[in-house]
Amino acid sequence: MIVYLSQEELDAFASGEAESQCGYAYEWEGEDVVHLHTQPLAHAFGRVSKCFFSKAAPIVSFLNDVLWCVFVGGDGPQVFVKTDNELQRVDSQMIPSKENLYSRSKGILEVGILEKKHVAVIGLGSFGSQIAIELAKAGVGEFSLVDFDRVELHNLARHTCFIKDLGRLKTDAIEESILGKNPYTKIHKYPLDISKNNQRLEEIVCCADLVICATDNNPSRFALSQALVDFQKVGIFGRAFTRAEGGDVFIYHPGQACYSCLVGNIGVVHEEITDEVSARQTGIIPAYVSAQDADAMVQVGLSADIEPICNMMIKLALVELSRGEASGISCLEDELVYNYYLWANRRERKFSNWHILPGAGPMPTIMRWYGANISRRDDCAVCSKDEILLDTGDEFEELLQSF
Amino acid sequence: MMKYSRYQAEIKVLEEKLPSNIYRFMDMNTAKPYLVMAARTNRGNIYTLKIELDVFPDNIPKVFVTKMLYDCNLNPLDTPSSSMHTLNSENGCTQICHYGTSSWTNRVSLYKVYIKCRLWLEMYEAHLSTGAPIGYYLKHQS
Ligand SMILES: [Zn+2]
Repeated sequence: MIVYLSQEELDAFASGEAESQCGYAYEWEGEDVVHLHTQPLAHAFGRVSKCFFSKAAPIVSFLNDVLWCVFVGGDGPQVFVKTDNELQRVDSQMIPSKENLYSRSKGILEVGILEKKHVAVIGLGSFGSQIAIELAKAGVGEFSLVDFDRVELHNLARHTCFIKDLGRLKTDAIEESILGKNPYTKIHKYPLDISKNNQRLEEIVCCADLVICATDNNPSRFALSQALVDFQKVGIFGRAFTRAEGGDVFIYHPGQACYSCLVGNIGVVHEEITDEVSARQTGIIPAYVSAQDADAMVQVGLSADIEPICNMMIKLALVELSRGEASGISCLEDELVYNYYLWANRRERKFSNWHILPGAGPMPTIMRWYGANISRRDDCAVCSKDEILLDTGDEFEELLQSF
Repeated sequence: MMKYSRYQAEIKVLEEKLPSNIYRFMDMNTAKPYLVMAARTNRGNIYTLKIELDVFPDNIPKVFVTKMLYDCNLNPLDTPSSSMHTLNSENGCTQICHYGTSSWTNRVSLYKVYIKCRLWLEMYEAHLSTGAPIGYYLKHQS
């Protein structure tokens, strides 16, 4: 039998006034594994039964309907299981307390630095969900999770969520995943549509050290871009192109090119459409498109195809969060110096004239990152310090005369 | 929601391009700001346009003709149609599909939106006289 106890909970019980308390045993049925807790878990697992925590030596006759017992006192905790009306001592292991939980990654990542950082993740789809969880694993201490969507069937294939999560708000499901990795993480949940809650968006961006912009449409990215410029925050944008044939990552640093500058410089790209309902809501699939045509427009790429793009966003985030501090990834500060990164998964459409991987040499080919510096536009509608130059549609003025 | 600097830039363009008595910004300090504009077609007919500004410039503003328009067969233009470039009507007003999401950027001015809707009205009137759908005159609004 493998038994786990929570160091944090035992410390709290030992220093508290109560002589005993009733807790909970969560047993992975048929696997001979049990986790014993003084407090109920937000989301239980396995078979749940009672567990008696006591500072005095346990007496078997007192334990009527209790199977598990933890004696806290003297030389550390002792765990007993009741079998045939006798208490049998079993070995136990500890889930470490906060300061020790992620000590194993010390040296590579400065957990102490990341623990103090607050990351806002806007959009918890296949990109945002993975990035949030990876950053939590790296030791980021505080998150703002923003998404109004719920977990649905079409989300599942590329999402971190499970079938058991169907119907849940993504903010709740991802919170659970993060806390499952690091229960000491502080999480703020915002199940709302940022394009309709500008003020709340500003508050969220203002409080964060870094913003992950993982929404699937330009209107929300434009809104985010404006907030990042207004509050001088670093933001990382990522997306997949049609059928995830490739993707790109853009990082905004205050004073440099913003997302609107990027759109001004490289134009609007054809993005992957993963969900008809949300694509109709954002207008990416116009209202007049029939259900059949819309079905043909929804073309979802492989999970493995968006993975590299997520990975780049995570790396950039970790470099950004530990910038200026000595850590095992400091060297990447000298390498990830661009503000735009492009990746091709397959030589299709946009990348059809790229070189085949064997023998490509220095020529552009698949599955390699290409970095570039996008320059700031003097006429940018979002970040320009000078006068804003708008698109006045002069070409349509001429057309008007033709009627 | 539009920033003040953007609002100023929009006004500057409109002042340069149009007489000041044909447009008016309304309810600008509320959650539902809008712009009302008069549009006179080449045939001399006058329409009033309501341009909703709650999501502008991050997203495409909804534009309504402030009455229900009818096609050449006297059917109301009240539903999404790719051939007529309309979206769902609201409050009995025809909604113009003036921009495609995939080509929208936040640099597009309200003046450009206005010009594209003026163009739509010209095509609408041409439709009334010829019966050809609006899509015939303009493939897809870009
Ligand atoms: Zn800019």
